[in-house]
Amino acid sequence: MNFGFSEEQREVQNLARQIFTDLVSPEKLKASDDYAGERFDEALWGKLAEAGLLGVALEEQYAGMGFGFTELALLVEEVGRSIAPAPVIPNLVSGALPVQRFGTDEQKQRLLPGVAEGKLMLTAALMEKHNENPASPRLTTAVAKDGGYSVSGTKLCVPFAHRAERMIVSAKTDNGVIALLVDPKADGVTLNEMKVTTYEPQYEVALKDVSVAAEDVLAGADKGAEVMQWLTEHTTAALCAHQVGVTDCAMRMTASYTAERKQFGVPVATFQAVGHRAANCFIDVECLRLNTYQAVSRLAGGHNATNEVQIAKIWAGDVGHRVSYASQHLHGGMGIDRDYPLWRYCTWMRHNEMMLGSSAKNLAALGKRIAAGEAYCQ
Amino acid sequence: MKVEFTPEQEALRTELRAYFKELMTPELTAECNRDMGEGGGPLWREALLKMGKDGWIGVGWPKELGGKGLSPIEQFIFVEEIMRAGYPFPFLTTESVGPQLAEHGNAWQKANIVPKILSGECLIAIGYSEPGAGTDLARLKTTAVKEGDEWVINGQKMWTSLAHFCDYVWLACRTDQNAEKPHKGISMFLVPTSDPGWSSTPVVTLGGVRTNATYYDNIRVNDDALVGELNKGWKLITGQLNRERLSLVNCGPTQQLFNGVVKWAQETELPEGGKLIDQPWVQMNLAKVRAGVEALKLVCYKQAWAMTEGNLEMADASAAKVYGSEFFIEVYRALGEVMEQMSLVSEHSPQAQEHAARVERLYRTASIITFGGGTNEIQRDIISAAGLWMPRAAR
Repeated sequence: MNFGFSEEQREVQNLARQIFTDLVSPEKLKASDDYAGERFDEALWGKLAEAGLLGVALEEQYAGMGFGFTELALLVEEVGRSIAPAPVIPNLVSGALPVQRFGTDEQKQRLLPGVAEGKLMLTAALMEKHNENPASPRLTTAVAKDGGYSVSGTKLCVPFAHRAERMIVSAKTDNGVIALLVDPKADGVTLNEMKVTTYEPQYEVALKDVSVAAEDVLAGADKGAEVMQWLTEHTTAALCAHQVGVTDCAMRMTASYTAERKQFGVPVATFQAVGHRAANCFIDVECLRLNTYQAVSRLAGGHNATNEVQIAKIWAGDVGHRVSYASQHLHGGMGIDRDYPLWRYCTWMRHNEMMLGSSAKNLAALGKRIAAGEAYCQ
Repeated sequence: MKVEFTPEQEALRTELRAYFKELMTPELTAECNRDMGEGGGPLWREALLKMGKDGWIGVGWPKELGGKGLSPIEQFIFVEEIMRAGYPFPFLTTESVGPQLAEHGNAWQKANIVPKILSGECLIAIGYSEPGAGTDLARLKTTAVKEGDEWVINGQKMWTSLAHFCDYVWLACRTDQNAEKPHKGISMFLVPTSDPGWSSTPVVTLGGVRTNATYYDNIRVNDDALVGELNKGWKLITGQLNRERLSLVNCGPTQQLFNGVVKWAQETELPEGGKLIDQPWVQMNLAKVRAGVEALKLVCYKQAWAMTEGNLEMADASAAKVYGSEFFIEVYRALGEVMEQMSLVSEHSPQAQEHAARVERLYRTASIITFGGGTNEIQRDIISAAGLWMPRAAR
């Protein structure tokens, strides 16, 4: 049992924190508010690539740093802390990691070095209407064709589909679930812009008889569900890590604000009602952090982590919700003033709360596992 | 970062689980239940002596003091397993006061008290609160006055739990009436309950658990009884409370109760057909407890790890205490709901059901640690000040 960070892990944290501190500012984030500009910072992305961070969890033979999922999750936490306009989760976690884990040598050679160098982007299409389980696609179907597949259906809320070289798409076949690497520019693919709460570029991806060649099949029907489950658990844990960064920053911003803001001649932080609500946030964030680190650590070690990921996501949802409202409230009007930086954090707490299943949904799923005898306390 | 047990820690857990399974005979279990889960009975004492003999007290203490020299995290595993087994372990003595004595005690205490704690022969109660000094503990009035070579102790303490079967009270006394600040005039003493000047009266609580008011009438002790330096008792008190806080919120018993209720709900048939555990609301309650207890486990492990590394943060210790104490109450409510009206049927009733009867009692005892061991308001003050650097109002 070790809750400390290794030297390498601290280096990744510090390097990431330094870059985001230098290059992310409220002024820059403002540029993409209300979709005025694309929420993507080319210069920042280039800097992350240059520092090697985009390849932090990729093997050295693919131009990566050769670290693991823990180090990647620590990078994601820093993305959250700064709410940097950098699609690290869709690209590095949902996209590159499954390719590295399950892809063919040719796929890895073709896609991964570009990811590490920041020249190529991947993403994953995880949502369908009323279906947020990527391992069990309902509205996307595929049939075998020319050694590959022909796929049809509609995915929702696909981040950065417009920039992606390939997006991972799961589809139902007569023999089981498959996972494909779909080119968003291929014939039959239509990208329809969506407008969402965070102003992240997201797309409705309509697929109509899209041909996917054999070389772009990530997993056939024998393995597709397993690949998508693996992808989902890693992405969920990454969302939790992002939430750790976002909530921690919002909480500390709130603590600082209440220490400065005076009413009745004293800092409002000196009122017990204020201090105690902030203390509740501290406890909440610590619970989220530890559950997240546990889930990440187990995934990094290749252990079964289904219960731990679900529990971390329950905390990510609850803590995001509670810290968001406590922060807004304790800031008084400043918390919702768009000239003050807090409000953007609130949209990301909401994003992380809802994506890949809310607390209620994960509680229900965990409850089923408990009933089946799969989630006893060890 | 590796949030999982090492093979050695897993082996220790397996060994302890087997050991306690054998230790907890049905007779001992019955006696512990009768004693409201606080121990003190003859079989309980016998088992404590056996644990001492087998070297299972003070697993985290230094080897030169007779302990096993294992890290706080291994010690925590020990406490978790023993609490899971349902043995009311005297952790105030062994985990909280004991290590303080081993570190700061004088030669007499190290020679006479510390070995007896390790052998299970010596039990110590905590004497801090007084009728007029609770959260504002520094106002305590019990005095120790030097007369020749002796200290003469007079006063009254409240909530001196377990004192009616303990050998000593770890007693906070005022030794300097003129100190510039009240907490700078306090010293710690080990006072024998066998002294004719010592007496106690029971205070029975909502949960049925007995605590005590204790009285100190011209008790005379020499310098052997003084712990640490004169007028430096406050640091020992806060150090002890920091250690106590972690023992208070051990996750072992809750994990055990949760597992028991899950198994029970899986087997329990509903008159209308199907099993209780198939009900969505039952699954929801169980999932909330499961997610909460996982956090408690990790909060506890992180602290045990931090103690091992020597960097336990004040805010983290307080966060664990607040979270655990308030979570327990929600656990008993949620699991009680699952067992419905049976969770109001006491163990003394022939219709009693094991887990439900336990919840019947636990629900009545749960408030104790939200204010005991340093009230949660003060803990939250510590968290906002030490964890978030927020300024505090003057008191």
